Amino acid sequence: MSDFVLLENLTLAYGKTIAVEALNLSINQGELITLLGPSGCGKTTTMRAIAGLMPLRGGKVWIDGQDVSRIPPSKRQVGLVFQSYALFPHLSVFENVAFGLRLRSEPNLKQAVMDGLEMVGLAEFADRHPTDLSGGQQQRVALARSVVMKPKVLLLDEPLSNLDARLRLDMRTELQRLQKDTGITMVFVTHDQSEALALADKIVLMRDGAIEQIGTPEQIYSAPVSGFAADFVGFETILPDGKGGGQAWRPGAVVLGQGPYNGTVRGASFAGERREYVLDSKIGVVKADVSVAHPAFEIGQTVDFDLPPETAVQLARVD
Amino acid sequence: MNSRVATWLILGVTLTFLIGPFLIIIAASLSAGNSLAFPPQGLSLKWFIKVFEIESFRASFGVSMFLAIFGTFTALVLGIPASYAMTRYKVPGAEAVRLIVSSPIIVPGIIVGLALLRYLVIPTGFGIGPALFLAHTALVLPYAVRVVSASMENLRVDMEEAALLLGCSRFGAFVRVVLPNIRGGILAAFILGFVTSFNQVPVSLFLSGPGLRTLPIDMMAYMEINYDPSVAALSSLLAFMSIGIIFAAEKFLGLSKYV
Amino acid sequence: MFENRAVGLALTLPAAIFAAALFLVPVGILLSEAFRIDGSWSIGAYIDFFSSARNRTVFLRTLKLGAFVAGVSAIVGYAAAFVIVSLPPTSRGRIFGLVTLPLMISPVARTYAWLVILGRTGFVNQILVNLGITDTPFRILFSETAVFIGLLQLFMPLMIISLVSAMENMPKDAVPAARILGANWFQVFWRVILALTREGLVIGGTLVFTGSMTAYITPAILGGSKVLMLETLLYQRVTVANDFVSASVIAMILIVMSFSANLLLKRIATARKSR
Repeated sequence: MSDFVLLENLTLAYGKTIAVEALNLSINQGELITLLGPSGCGKTTTMRAIAGLMPLRGGKVWIDGQDVSRIPPSKRQVGLVFQSYALFPHLSVFENVAFGLRLRSEPNLKQAVMDGLEMVGLAEFADRHPTDLSGGQQQRVALARSVVMKPKVLLLDEPLSNLDARLRLDMRTELQRLQKDTGITMVFVTHDQSEALALADKIVLMRDGAIEQIGTPEQIYSAPVSGFAADFVGFETILPDGKGGGQAWRPGAVVLGQGPYNGTVRGASFAGERREYVLDSKIGVVKADVSVAHPAFEIGQTVDFDLPPETAVQLARVD
Repeated sequence: MNSRVATWLILGVTLTFLIGPFLIIIAASLSAGNSLAFPPQGLSLKWFIKVFEIESFRASFGVSMFLAIFGTFTALVLGIPASYAMTRYKVPGAEAVRLIVSSPIIVPGIIVGLALLRYLVIPTGFGIGPALFLAHTALVLPYAVRVVSASMENLRVDMEEAALLLGCSRFGAFVRVVLPNIRGGILAAFILGFVTSFNQVPVSLFLSGPGLRTLPIDMMAYMEINYDPSVAALSSLLAFMSIGIIFAAEKFLGLSKYV
Repeated sequence: MFENRAVGLALTLPAAIFAAALFLVPVGILLSEAFRIDGSWSIGAYIDFFSSARNRTVFLRTLKLGAFVAGVSAIVGYAAAFVIVSLPPTSRGRIFGLVTLPLMISPVARTYAWLVILGRTGFVNQILVNLGITDTPFRILFSETAVFIGLLQLFMPLMIISLVSAMENMPKDAVPAARILGANWFQVFWRVILALTREGLVIGGTLVFTGSMTAYITPAILGGSKVLMLETLLYQRVTVANDFVSASVIAMILIVMSFSANLLLKRIATARKSR
């Protein structure tokens, strides 16, 4: 079903500060979409508006064909996994997961809770208290607590940011598996582009309270529409064409040691397989990385470089 | 000068000055003699028994207990919703409200007692007892608001939001999530309020009448007339009661976290 | 943060109305009383009050005792706090507990102890007589000294607590660093410790000064009718002479002094900081 979640001219504000202005977005049923952007871009605010935790300044929120703009969070059937997990410290793991089910007098409560804990692999922790669990385990409890409610939409606020690198990979696979098994519509908020690229069916790149670009991970990664979008996915050298548009290169695409341009090495760092350089040149700052097989350049040295047109991406605008 | 010696000298003198008098009262209260003296003349527990036989002490102890328990309870009933609102909602004129609620700390108690006597009790015939009760409640209110607010501020708002999304109403989230998690703060506020009210003198000075005196005022009246060790015995008992309460609170709650 | 203003207001109003009705309104009327002589506005009552030599003495004595108690508390408090902070954590907790303990005990009981110690047949006089220093016992009770001692014992813990928490927040290496840079102990105290604990001193100073100034129990027990302070004078004027105008004047003085002590100390703190 398309337009399963529909944000229509959504405007959100904190006091006099507008956080999100006239945003339109449609999410299909069963889709895993990511709201991606730097902090302060309005992604979390948008997510809170879907949950009903943020009053609307203007516009509407539709879920499953119903205008929920004036419906309180408790009646929206939306789940949210908080960045801090927000588990209830006075209740056991079992009671945390049972919390919402008890409120609606679920008939098979015990079974439903245990199924939920089973799903996140924490069945044997049911009697523990959240404070006795590791961060990763707490997050699974928070996930189970939301999923057992069978929400129409599950929102996840930076769910991987508090985990260490190995757990992050596990959790990523787990979220994907969960989404496939349950077919639940998920909205995932993150500032980490690699996370977004790995997980999402669709990425919504946000900037200053508006949508910069919507697309599949492939589109976002290889065809950014603007300088901002390009920079966000790693096209760090941007060359304007003087007419508003321009071209952009990833550091690996810049050729050092030969070419029509030259610049002064301002920074150099060793990154294992490759060396990374920052060059100041007449056409702007250039970021390059080259294999360690190449001879190294010194800081202050003037280096020739080339920006091959065949490795560039074309930008409609450079700002 | 050897710094270890200096350290213990400073601590010794300070603690002797602060704690020493209590030890002297306790010693004096154990006296077998009939007048107040240190060192005590012989040892006995007779003054501790005497304290319980003095009718007015029994009555005023009851008054003070009643004020301390129910006054603090009422202050919490008023103060908990106010603390919740001030830490969770945008309250119009929040600063003014905070100032009004904390004014009983700023205004000396004796003035409050006098003002209530003169403009509430005398002209309207409002009872002295109820006035005393209201005055003690208002006196404790700032402490209740301050301590409870502090523990509410430590409680993450997203926990309540999680409860809302799981189907709770605002009130439901308050009862099911907020209250259980600020129990410690509420108990700490209760103990602080109890001790403040129980030990309070100036507010009650003008709000006393025949048969209606708080314990500390009764003690002051008694010691003006009598020079026997019974007040020393009572003081020792009160000191032990306070120490017992504080110890229990610290042990079970970590009271110092909240104050 | 929830945005619903009406709910927020509804939850705070009971407490605010309660405090306003019981405190602000009656106290406001009481304060206005001294300005209304025979139905018209005037400051005559204040002039009358201060034209009495006894009232002036009581006023100045109250100020003096407040200042002395705050000053001595600060001096002893710095030494004690410095020592307490340098203790290992477990004994620090215990000593700190002993310092704060008196605060929880009835001030009547605390003050009463001094009757036993300072009385005619009290502990101090017995020592003096037994040592042959004096034949006739000293009259220490019902003097400013007795009231001063009582107030000091009552309020010093507040100063120590404020200073200890200020010193705990002081960077650990500040004192050794200053010593290495060649500062002597006086400079260390003045330039480092005092500078870094000014806020604690201000808070402690305000608490001790206003506490002493508005004390009732201590002057009532240890000063009696000979050494009146403002609160005992107020009580006496009302109970002995039914003199509500003087009571209103004293109430205003007490409130103004509490407030200005707060403001003044805050000013000192911010002025020093910005220098």
